[in-house]
Amino acid sequence: MHTWIKGVFRSLFRKAELDRDLDEELDSYLAMLIDEKVRAGLEREEAGRQARIELGGAEQVKEKVRELRLGATLDTLLQDIRYALRTLRKNRGLTAAAGLILAIGIGANTALFTTVNSVLLRALPFPHADRLVIGLKTMGGVPSGPVSRIDYFDYREGVESFEELGALTTFTQQNTVTGGGDPELVQALYVTWNLFRTLGVEPAAGRGFLPEEEARGGAPVVMISDGYGQRRFGNAEAAVGTSLVLDGEALTVVGVMPPGFRFMYDADVWRLIDRDGPFDTRRDSHSHWVVGRLKPGATLERAQAESDAVSAALAERFPDSNEGKALALTDLQGYLVRNVRTSLLLLMGTAVLVLLIACGNVAGLLLARGERRLSEMAMRTALGAPRRRLLRQLVTESVILTVGAGLLGVAVSYLLHDVILGLLPVGELGIHPPAVDRAALAFTLLVSIATGLLVGILPALRSTSLQPARQLRSDGRSTAGVHHGRLRNGLVVLQVALSVALLVGSGLLVRSMVRLSRVELGFDPGNLLTGQVQIQVADYPTPDERNAFFTSLLEEVEALPGVASATLSNRLPILSRWQDWSVWPTGRPPGSPQESFSAMARWVPPGYFATMRIPLVVGRDIATTDVPGSPYVVVVSRKVAETLFPGADPLGRTVTIGEWRDCEVVGVVEDARLNDLRGEPDPAFYMSMAQMGDARLQIAVRTAGDPTLLVRPIEELLRRKDPNVLFAQPRTMSTVVDGELAGFRTILLSLALFAVVAVVLAAMGIYGVLAYNVSQRRSELGLRLAIGASESGLVRMIMRQGMVLVALGLGIGLAVACPGALVMRHLVYETGLVDPAAYVGASVLLGLVAALACYLPARRASRANVLELLRTE
Amino acid sequence: MSADRGELLRGTLDMLILKTLSLQPLHGLGLARRIDQVTEGAFQVKPGSLFPALHRMEQKGWIEGAWGESENNRRAKYYRLTSAGRRQLGEERESWSQVVLAIAKVMEAT
Repeated sequence: MHTWIKGVFRSLFRKAELDRDLDEELDSYLAMLIDEKVRAGLEREEAGRQARIELGGAEQVKEKVRELRLGATLDTLLQDIRYALRTLRKNRGLTAAAGLILAIGIGANTALFTTVNSVLLRALPFPHADRLVIGLKTMGGVPSGPVSRIDYFDYREGVESFEELGALTTFTQQNTVTGGGDPELVQALYVTWNLFRTLGVEPAAGRGFLPEEEARGGAPVVMISDGYGQRRFGNAEAAVGTSLVLDGEALTVVGVMPPGFRFMYDADVWRLIDRDGPFDTRRDSHSHWVVGRLKPGATLERAQAESDAVSAALAERFPDSNEGKALALTDLQGYLVRNVRTSLLLLMGTAVLVLLIACGNVAGLLLARGERRLSEMAMRTALGAPRRRLLRQLVTESVILTVGAGLLGVAVSYLLHDVILGLLPVGELGIHPPAVDRAALAFTLLVSIATGLLVGILPALRSTSLQPARQLRSDGRSTAGVHHGRLRNGLVVLQVALSVALLVGSGLLVRSMVRLSRVELGFDPGNLLTGQVQIQVADYPTPDERNAFFTSLLEEVEALPGVASATLSNRLPILSRWQDWSVWPTGRPPGSPQESFSAMARWVPPGYFATMRIPLVVGRDIATTDVPGSPYVVVVSRKVAETLFPGADPLGRTVTIGEWRDCEVVGVVEDARLNDLRGEPDPAFYMSMAQMGDARLQIAVRTAGDPTLLVRPIEELLRRKDPNVLFAQPRTMSTVVDGELAGFRTILLSLALFAVVAVVLAAMGIYGVLAYNVSQRRSELGLRLAIGASESGLVRMIMRQGMVLVALGLGIGLAVACPGALVMRHLVYETGLVDPAAYVGASVLLGLVAALACYLPARRASRANVLELLRTE
Repeated sequence: MSADRGELLRGTLDMLILKTLSLQPLHGLGLARRIDQVTEGAFQVKPGSLFPALHRMEQKGWIEGAWGESENNRRAKYYRLTSAGRRQLGEERESWSQVVLAIAKVMEAT
């Protein structure tokens, strides 16, 4: 070992001495060789000549020996780097262009890697997050969402593999906090006592829930978030032990969760689910998420088998509700990120494509420059530089270039990744915000070096492959060999192909975005102000009093200047979702749970359809006479009517809603999109608000002008009317609908940005190659002009060469775009993957840009002076 | 036979040099001539292979060089075997005879 170190030390620091030693040794060898030949009878001069031939180039021998030295690699590397920096400095234009192109490509990749790393690869912010699973209900093997609360308790007792199995409701409830100042609305999430233990998160102050508190008649306790503690009590720790009156019930705050803690929903307070709680009192009512932590060493398969056994037992005991029902366990993180995964992977793929295009581009630039350096390479080969050494030096140059570009790319990624994160819905996942960290820097370095090798190796192989003698003989005159031309042309074809594939992809997304923003919602979101209104049940104890309040509220709001009409609903479209209840023709219940049909349950006052502009198909609206005491009525949407009464007149028929109330169908309205902008409109039924007697409703105000101008007047009106009424979250419906499109829009914008970069790069590539070809053929073109070729003929000839490459690239690109588009099928909305407009549009756009890139060098060549062209000979 | 053919067996050149130096210290040209002589011209070691080989072996500590006077009063660098080189020669000799034996068996198989 120490001889090796000594060797490295010697060759690094005593290089001059070693070189002198080697020189002397070779001199002495030569001298002795000449002596030998003289002794054999040759003239001294002839002996010297023969000896030198036999030695075969002292410099080459020396170079071979030097390369063997320990540490020689390091030494030549330093030498290469010094030389490379000098060369790059000399070609400032090329360095800047290539560096910038690569910085964009690498930066985009770093930004996306950062996001992918934190969202898809890194674990959730809970200890041993790999042991967390989520349970989803399946019906006949088909996953169908949340779990019944009653079933949950059976799984909690029956599955041994879980250390803990917790549950939470699939929605938050607004609770009113009273006592001590103005009443306020808080978001309450109902959880089992062990949910936080399941996640492995301890309260920051106080204690967690206890098992006995979950049982019926347990102590009235609540846990609060750090944020709410700060807001309400000024100091989160001071909150522990105080009393909080929620919806009139006094609860003791026992614990405060750590700052930043959230799980699936934003909540201010967490309340306990008890066995007799208000939601899911039936086995066929499903509104809970079930989250489990596997015991150390327990497998998902075992837990699944155990819960299947529980499901089978339940199906036997409760065939009416549990036949065909089971619990499918899946890892929690995978489930939480399922929606962003496709988008992120799509963007990552796109970024890689852009980097490949950038590589093609820079490789083209280096190739062209390599040809200008053929003479240099030939000279160095003749002087004894082995090809390996030249290759290494050229590749060092390109790696230095790309690593530099990578550093610049990190700066680009800082800019980009804020944009990406601001727009992707990753904040909702409870995942740490991504940052450009050590992993990202390592990734960038790796990508930079790989890129350097990729763009450097081909041009380097090319420019060192020629016979030095041939090259030196034709010195100065560049021999744009057929090979080189073919390679550069290939790079252009590659760039065009990748760009057109990208363009097609973004074209498809643009088209579906346009369709989505013009989608027929089934109601009119324009000029519509929405908000939450809640009255205190204590102040209005009976449904009649509540109805009187809301009816007079609507009249007073409609009397405000600028208001066209106003209405209320338990859940306004898009703003508040789901709540689907089963519904069937009275007397004809479904044969099995799988055959049951459910629709969105909504209750509205008279005039709701007119204000929302949902067309009435047949029958009548909810009327002012549909009040408590009079027969129950319902207006159903077209889909409900067609499903329950196919081919028959639904008016006058009776339906049973939620196994609870029989209502007469008095009208049919068109379906509207209530939950989601994508997919089909939702079936719904609308009951009379007066007959439901709710205290918490959402208000929708149709205005003549800007809806936001009405926020203040409505707030003032309510304060005058009853200071205990809460009016919260005023938003326009257009904002709500727009928010729905935001995530999609981001992906689209990023993709469009990438596509533009790709097209610009491809155009630069085409231009570069053609301009270079023209400059190489100046004398030929001059000759053609001199013997009578027309300028337009020359332009046509050069353009034809360029356009052949472009056409080839277009063909290949379109061919790969088709299967490539399959990746996006989840994102594309109502647009076939073979949407001709996207393909034609992409081809035409790229074709035009490419034609321009071809035309510029062609024109320059044809405009040049004949004499000048020939003089360069 | 040219030295190129000798290079086909790179390990062989090292072994030949070690063996030759084990008999007496020699300078580069002397070494080349001695191998030429013993193999009756079968291996002509050219400087392009000789010097890299010598330097490689010197770095490995198998041989060491020292300046001295040649028979014709020229200054020349003489190489001699170290104890590590002697061990190396033993190992190479052994593996070589194994190879020869193995090849011989294949070639003489009927």
